[in-house]
Amino acid sequence: MVEITDVVCPLCGCVCDDIVVEVEDNEVKKVRGACAVGKSKLMGHGRIKSPAIRANGVLKDCSYDEAIKKAAEILAAARRPLLYGWSSTVCEATKVGVELAVEIGAVIDNTASVCHGPSVLAIQDVGLPSCTLGEVKNRASLVIYWGANPTSAHGNHMKRYSYISKGYFLPGGKKDKKLVVVDVRETKTAKMADRFIQVEPGKDYLFFSALRAILYGHEDVVPDDVGGVAKKELLELADMMKETPFGIIFFGMGVTQSRGRHNNIINAIQVTRAAHTHTKFNIMPMRGHYNVTGFNQVCTWETGFPFAVDLSRGFAWYNPGETAANDILWRKECDAALFIASDPVSHFPADSIRHLARIPVIQIDPFANPTTEFADVVIPTAVSGVEAEGSVYRMDGIPLRLRKLVDTDYPSDEEVLMRILEEVRAIRAKEGE
Amino acid sequence: MSELLIKNGVVYDPINGVKGEKKDICIRDGKVVEEVKNPKVIDAEGMVVMPGGVDIHAHIAGGKVNAGRLFRPEDGRRGLRPRTKVCMPESGYSVPNTFATGYRYARMGYTFVMEPAMPPLAARHTHEELIDIPILDNAAIPLIDNNWMTMEYVKSGDIDLLAAYIAWMIRATKGYGVKVVNPGGTEAWAWKKNCDLNDAVPYFDVTPAEIVRALAEANERFEMPHSIHVHGNMLGHPGNYEVTLKTYDLVKGITPYRDRPVMHATHTQFFSYGGTTWRDFESKARAIADYVNANEHVSIDIGSVIIGDTTTMTADGPMEYSLHQITGRKWTNHDVELETGSGITPFLYSGKVSVHTLQWAIGLELALLTKDPWKIALTSDHPNAGPFIGYPILISMLMSKRRRDESAKEMHSVIFDRAELPSIDREYSFYEIAIITRGMTARTLGLHEHGKGHLGVGADGDVAIYDISPEERDAGKIQKAFLNAKYTIKGGEIVVKDGEVVSAPPGRTFFVTPECESGLMDEMTAKLKEMFANYYSVSLANYPVQDAYVPNPYEIRAPWRS
Amino acid sequence: MQTIRLKLKEGVMSGVAKIPVIVDSLTPDKLSGKSEAEIKAVKVWWGNREENTGDLFEVSVEGEAGSAEEVKVVMEGDLTRVKYIGAGMKTGEIVANGDVDMHCGALMEGGKITVKGNADCWAGREMRGGELIIEGDAGANLCAMYRGETTGMTGGKVIVHGNAGECAGQYMAGGEILIKGNADILAGLNMKGGKITIEGDAIMPGADMTGGEILIKGKVEDMIPSFKFVETTTIEGEEYRKYTGDLAMTEKRAKGVLYVK
Repeated sequence: MVEITDVVCPLCGCVCDDIVVEVEDNEVKKVRGACAVGKSKLMGHGRIKSPAIRANGVLKDCSYDEAIKKAAEILAAARRPLLYGWSSTVCEATKVGVELAVEIGAVIDNTASVCHGPSVLAIQDVGLPSCTLGEVKNRASLVIYWGANPTSAHGNHMKRYSYISKGYFLPGGKKDKKLVVVDVRETKTAKMADRFIQVEPGKDYLFFSALRAILYGHEDVVPDDVGGVAKKELLELADMMKETPFGIIFFGMGVTQSRGRHNNIINAIQVTRAAHTHTKFNIMPMRGHYNVTGFNQVCTWETGFPFAVDLSRGFAWYNPGETAANDILWRKECDAALFIASDPVSHFPADSIRHLARIPVIQIDPFANPTTEFADVVIPTAVSGVEAEGSVYRMDGIPLRLRKLVDTDYPSDEEVLMRILEEVRAIRAKEGE
Repeated sequence: MSELLIKNGVVYDPINGVKGEKKDICIRDGKVVEEVKNPKVIDAEGMVVMPGGVDIHAHIAGGKVNAGRLFRPEDGRRGLRPRTKVCMPESGYSVPNTFATGYRYARMGYTFVMEPAMPPLAARHTHEELIDIPILDNAAIPLIDNNWMTMEYVKSGDIDLLAAYIAWMIRATKGYGVKVVNPGGTEAWAWKKNCDLNDAVPYFDVTPAEIVRALAEANERFEMPHSIHVHGNMLGHPGNYEVTLKTYDLVKGITPYRDRPVMHATHTQFFSYGGTTWRDFESKARAIADYVNANEHVSIDIGSVIIGDTTTMTADGPMEYSLHQITGRKWTNHDVELETGSGITPFLYSGKVSVHTLQWAIGLELALLTKDPWKIALTSDHPNAGPFIGYPILISMLMSKRRRDESAKEMHSVIFDRAELPSIDREYSFYEIAIITRGMTARTLGLHEHGKGHLGVGADGDVAIYDISPEERDAGKIQKAFLNAKYTIKGGEIVVKDGEVVSAPPGRTFFVTPECESGLMDEMTAKLKEMFANYYSVSLANYPVQDAYVPNPYEIRAPWRS
Repeated sequence: MQTIRLKLKEGVMSGVAKIPVIVDSLTPDKLSGKSEAEIKAVKVWWGNREENTGDLFEVSVEGEAGSAEEVKVVMEGDLTRVKYIGAGMKTGEIVANGDVDMHCGALMEGGKITVKGNADCWAGREMRGGELIIEGDAGANLCAMYRGETTGMTGGKVIVHGNAGECAGQYMAGGEILIKGNADILAGLNMKGGKITIEGDAIMPGADMTGGEILIKGKVEDMIPSFKFVETTTIEGEEYRKYTGDLAMTEKRAKGVLYVK
């Protein structure tokens, strides 16, 4: 038995890096310090056994060489290919992905486009006053979760970084802090809060605008009820925000995916700016997958843009709403798709999935999922953070390196992509002759 | 064995005292040699030949640079260029993507760039981007001034332990030296406050002045190639020149390990302001230049303004916030636990605005009033005063009084009342340009001992060949020549030909390994462990940058000075 | 007068995938003075490959033009994946017979575009001048800006006979938009100049306005709570409540005007 300490968890955007893992016979036997979901990921489950190619409707096992060759043929022939996923793999794989996208003139996009993509659009309009999670731990005496429920989605978030953690200036932990939850329903997190504010679905935008007017000193124009919230509650919340020396808003998909979408986030960030005229105030998206942020980072420094990048004309054209995965799927633009480290079939709307059924699909993933049912080529890989190492970015942009805990015969995502790229280049070279 | 001969060019190699002589340059296997036998030949007849450019200060990689790219797709669209056979697609103007950064510098004849602000906790990010910047050799300087550990040792006066801490930090981040940005002020910014030079930092009971002095002393405990690299307090505030001069005075008398300054004061344009408000704002470049002329312990770079839209970004969070308050434009802030922070906001420098006009004049005045070019470097604090792609404009301004006069006429008339520029006649020569873009920068960074910034035997085969006559004084032609080199050669390989990138090999990352006595290191590490156990949000074991992030390393050892 | 007819060939959009064709190279000013054969050789992007116009469109040219101003381009066939129709055009006329895809009239500087159907998102994006008439509905971001920019439409005139999608006229700084139907959520968002008239209903119009004017003749759902009521006023014989805002942008910047019934 070998004990490995300071293991970095490859599950959610918290990227806890203090996990202890016991390995015996090249298998993870015990996990300490992770939340239940993180533990399950580290222990492994439901692996794809072999590469496969679909023939007559049935996936038939094949060699890696055959699967990679087939994948390359599909991609090289495509006129509007899509490379999508990337949020549960390491940055090294993404880098090869961008290179492949450039080579074949593809659209490259990650799962942000169906979760926190709106947050990125909002940041592009107004910026993001934010900080690392350790700042929150050490200084934030007011923590607001808005449309976010960390008790279920980010198991260790409150304990490691926010309300429950102890910090340099807040040695008493939650005794020294106030927790406010704003949501459309009373979640488990809301039950813990010092104050819970229930807003009507789809009315967040109005709530934010009113709060801004109050923080800028114009409470006189605000009506008595805003989105189902009494003006008195708004005024009290504004006072709490003004009085804390350091406050933070964590927002989740409850805000990004409701009516108004990215404009809600713009307005939430504008609230933060208004509060910042009184005191130190910050805001941070609760990013989901462990490396959804990392894809956006790599894609930004390599192409100039964070997601939904269309390389079909040789340069990068970024325009979510036009160039995101879903846009080119439901509009039937896409003629071949590669999915890596994601499960679009479980998350995309019906129109997009219907189109997927009509075009060639390649899947690269350690695990079988509903997308496998649509795949024409399936290539299993090593689990990043268990069987392969590499860079990831926490929800606050902190880069960490996933560790390799056990050996495997599976190739890494990076390796498979590199081989596809080489194969594509070989096909291109042949065409050129 | 690959050989290259650059013949008949007019060579400017200041470190070796070569002042525009017709001279052949021989390169074998990437290094300058005495002679070659069977070389590929470049005929540089009638052209200007210089060592590859060395930029001492440009924000090209890391978290805040990328945050700048991410939140400015409108800047991204201004620099789109499709892929070529050797190049990845380019994007961006003030915040170019990593590939464009490498290609554009190379097209200008540069082969080394220093990333001057690496937040230690996010050092891996900086290195990941450096890996993706083609062609350029590079290094990055970690921010070590607002760190809680630094302030505690400054408070207790333990310079040796402070030295142990900076040694650990530079090693952990694969960094190059000690960067200071608004010492104390960035920590205060975590509470939305700021610090002047002698204010106490909230809760830490030290002053910025004490931090600067202590870091300069600690840095000289080692044989560090570079001095401390300082962005002081009150950047961008009217009347700040007095704080600037006091900051310079803080380190006077500290003995450097070798013949170099003990402080490099960066983007000095932003620190040379007179007046009390933006209304009576005026140039104090003369006062700064006088000080630099009279002293040997400070070097500066100009941080000159390039008129147009850009993206400002610095670890000086409060400064960025006040800029955002002025413009109302989008603003990103990212405070980093126990260490530093950053702010980013777009900014338009307009020649019609009095303050911007004066800022523009001040940068050029600094270069023209500082007598000895070995004390001054050409920068635009990319992208803060403008993107690096504007360097050829700055060069043409320094070389042509006529061009400056023509520009001044187009700008706000305040330039004739509150700046000295219109009355300065000095014009830089090609030799002096070579100093402020190669010789001085390489020497100040200590890179001349590692093959950079000169063309002596043993130097790296990094050469820029500009298609311009050494006699040329036409500003437009000068600008054009420096924007697109005829040839850029990196490590003996032609990477740019006729202004186009023809090869894009990876660059190397230079880093320093300060060597510290183990007793000191142990004592410091015990305290460090406490910091990680209680206050950091990551584990100590996951903190240091792994070797995987420096695939092409160049290590410089810095022994402890006994 | 010269009329250039460009009919998208059926085969282009009949596959499993409807791969977009990008036609910003096919504006009157760019085609002016070209023969039929030369027009056929103009490059257009179809997915990730460049093709000859003549391979994707049936091309015919009638009449002669003394200048680009006299050139009329008529586009036909299935245009639902034909992007950038009339983008950047400076003069002349384009008539699109049917529904058109995104960026129709984007960065347009002059001339006239008539869409005899619906126009998808970003029609009239960053428009500087000229006239854009959409006889059907307009998608989202009508006359808005590119991501991250803070200026959308600055000049020209747009008429939408049907409804407009979300964020119509975002960051508009000049020009006029007339929407005869309803406007979806956040029309005139961040508006700083120009005028939007909505004859139908609107949801949350004028948020974060710092200038310009929005007049809504129909109902307003979810009025932004940070606008200040000024007075009741009569326009064209009808009574309106006049508001200024958006005070969420601070009082100094709240210079937008909203007329609501």
